Formats: sequence, C-alpha cells, structure tokens
Amino acid sequence: MAFDPFPENRAAPSDYRAAPTDDRVKTKPPVPVKIIVAGGFGVGKTTTVGAISEISPLTTEAEMTMESVGVDHPNRATTKTTTTIAMDFGCVTIDHTLKLYLFGTPGQSRFSFMWDDLVRGALGALVVVDTSRIDDCYPAVDYFERAGLPFVVGVNTFNGQQGYNLDEVRWALAVRDDVPVLQFDARFRGSVRDALLVVLDQALDKALRMRQT
Amino acid sequence: MTGPDPDRPAVPGIRPFLREQAPADDRPPPGEQTTSLRPFVLTSGRVAAVDPNIGLETQVSTHPRAWGARLSPEQRAIVQLCAQPLSVAEISAKLRLHFGVTRILVADLRAAGCLEVHVVESEFPDPDTIMRVIRGLRSLS
Repeated sequence: MAFDPFPENRAAPSDYRAAPTDDRVKTKPPVPVKIIVAGGFGVGKTTTVGAISEISPLTTEAEMTMESVGVDHPNRATTKTTTTIAMDFGCVTIDHTLKLYLFGTPGQSRFSFMWDDLVRGALGALVVVDTSRIDDCYPAVDYFERAGLPFVVGVNTFNGQQGYNLDEVRWALAVRDDVPVLQFDARFRGSVRDALLVVLDQALDKALRMRQT
Repeated sequence: MTGPDPDRPAVPGIRPFLREQAPADDRPPPGEQTTSLRPFVLTSGRVAAVDPNIGLETQVSTHPRAWGARLSPEQRAIVQLCAQPLSVAEISAKLRLHFGVTRILVADLRAAGCLEVHVVESEFPDPDTIMRVIRGLRSLS
C-alpha cells in the first residue's frame, strides 16, 4: 500500500498494468442494496450490524445536516447546522452479483437529522429500541415516516429483560398499524436475520405497490 | 527594481502570514474549532457533493488507465484499494477519510477516467432484487 514518491523506483507502467486489468475483467461489481439500522446511543446498533456482517463493522465519518427545532433561536422556527457523525457498517454477500450493506446510524433526540444521502435507495430500516430509553428513537421513527421508507421497530432484549410488552411499545411510539413492532436479540445472528427479513417483507410490499402504479 | 514605498511603514523581514497574530477573541475557542472541515483540505476546500448518486454503498473499481496516472497520495491509495470493486463507505473507512471527502475524491477520479463508478439508476430496488436478498438471508444459518 506504501506509495513510492520517486517515479524511478516504480515499476514501468506496462508491468503493473497487467494484473489489475485481468482482475477487473473477471470481477463485475455486485449490485449493492442497503438497510439502515437506526436508534439512540447505546441501544445495540453496532451489535446488530456485527452479529450478521461478514466483516467486523467498519466506521466511516459523515457530515449530516441537522435541524434543531427552535431551541436556540426562538424567532426562527428551525436552524440548520452540520455535524460529523460516526457510522458503523457491515455487509453480507448474497451472491457474487448482490451485496447487502447495513448502516448503523445514531439518532439524537432534540435534533432531526437530514438522512437524505443515507436513505436514497435504501430498502428499509430497522429501528432498534431500548425500552428504558424509548424516546431516543423518536427522531428515527419521525424521519422514516416522513421519508416514506419502510421500517420495522425492533425492541432489543439485550439484557434478557423486557420491561414492556410490544403493544405498550407500539402505543408509546404511535406508529401506524402496518408498521411491525417485534422483539429481537442483537447479539444473535439468527435473531437479527429474522428482524431483517421482516424489514425486507415491508420493502417487498412497497416495491410491489410501486410496480402496480 | 523600485525603491521601498515611502508611505508603507517598515516591517521586519518576516513572512507575511507570520507578521500579525489574529486577535485572540476572533479565533474560536479550542473546543469549538471547526475540525470537521479540516479533512476538506484534501479537496481544495470543496464540500458540496459532486454527484448525489454516489452513495455510501456505491461500488467503485479502478480503470486500467489509472495505473499510469499522476495522482495525489490519497487518490493513489483509492486507486490501489479499488483493484477489486469496493463501496465508497469501505474506501472511507479503510483510508480513514471522511465520507464527504472520499466522495469528492472518487468523483474527481471518475472525471479523470481513473475510476469506474457503478451508479445504480433506480431509486428503489425492484421486487426481484428484494426476493433474492430474502432468499439469501434465509439461507444464512
């Protein structure tokens, strides 16, 4: 990976042109699809991504525009600021032509994120909820509802305890009836896979509806 | 050669940007320094997204032309990394570059013909693709 700044030390272009070209011809890039894993701080987003990803989760930093709702400037309705957030992500290779990416994004109460870059082309989202801090996921739920992105609420039973039943969670979040609220354990691959399959079911519904219209 | 300008006060022979310290209250306090914009030095200060279709998951691969091109170290690193197709997010994570910076560098390299950026046209994946993902995930143990 080291880059040699002295051209005379490098191999002639024709020598190192051969190998990568041959590789490139063989490997047509897979079509990427993505699912967003959203939720408040420390609810188990990275655990969720790590449980199913074939690579250990990587982190990228990205700029996000936020609208802070009239707290600092009472005269203006909203103020826009940008902030840098860290995003953990992983992937699952479905086959050599299709690859699923999972992006774990932080939610932050009091701010509503502009997740447009992230949401563009996404299949859907899994909103991870910790019942002891249920309001942490409100911004994510609000955003996905407005963006029309299929989403599923997944209550993480990380510590094996479940303080509220799913009906109570649904009531607290006031999500539409067709939004699934389910329980899963972010530590276990099978459990995360099943939660993602519910997200994909929702995505399939949306895709079929879009095809009809 | 012209003589020294009589109207201008004589200044000691220091490089211009070292001459005057900015007044202390003009500078942001250390905690509030705009560190998030520092990485954009690599993009000559450009922060706007060049192409909104280049997303986190967009696949990028090196074009053979890149192997003879004159590139900055960061661009060279991207070109070397993408001998096998890779997503923009992975490039960003592996090179520890800010995603916004990576996206601009990738767009530059595409414009220079050094990278192939495989932009997916459709806004939302079609049912067949989703079915394949469902089948693929189901087969995971």
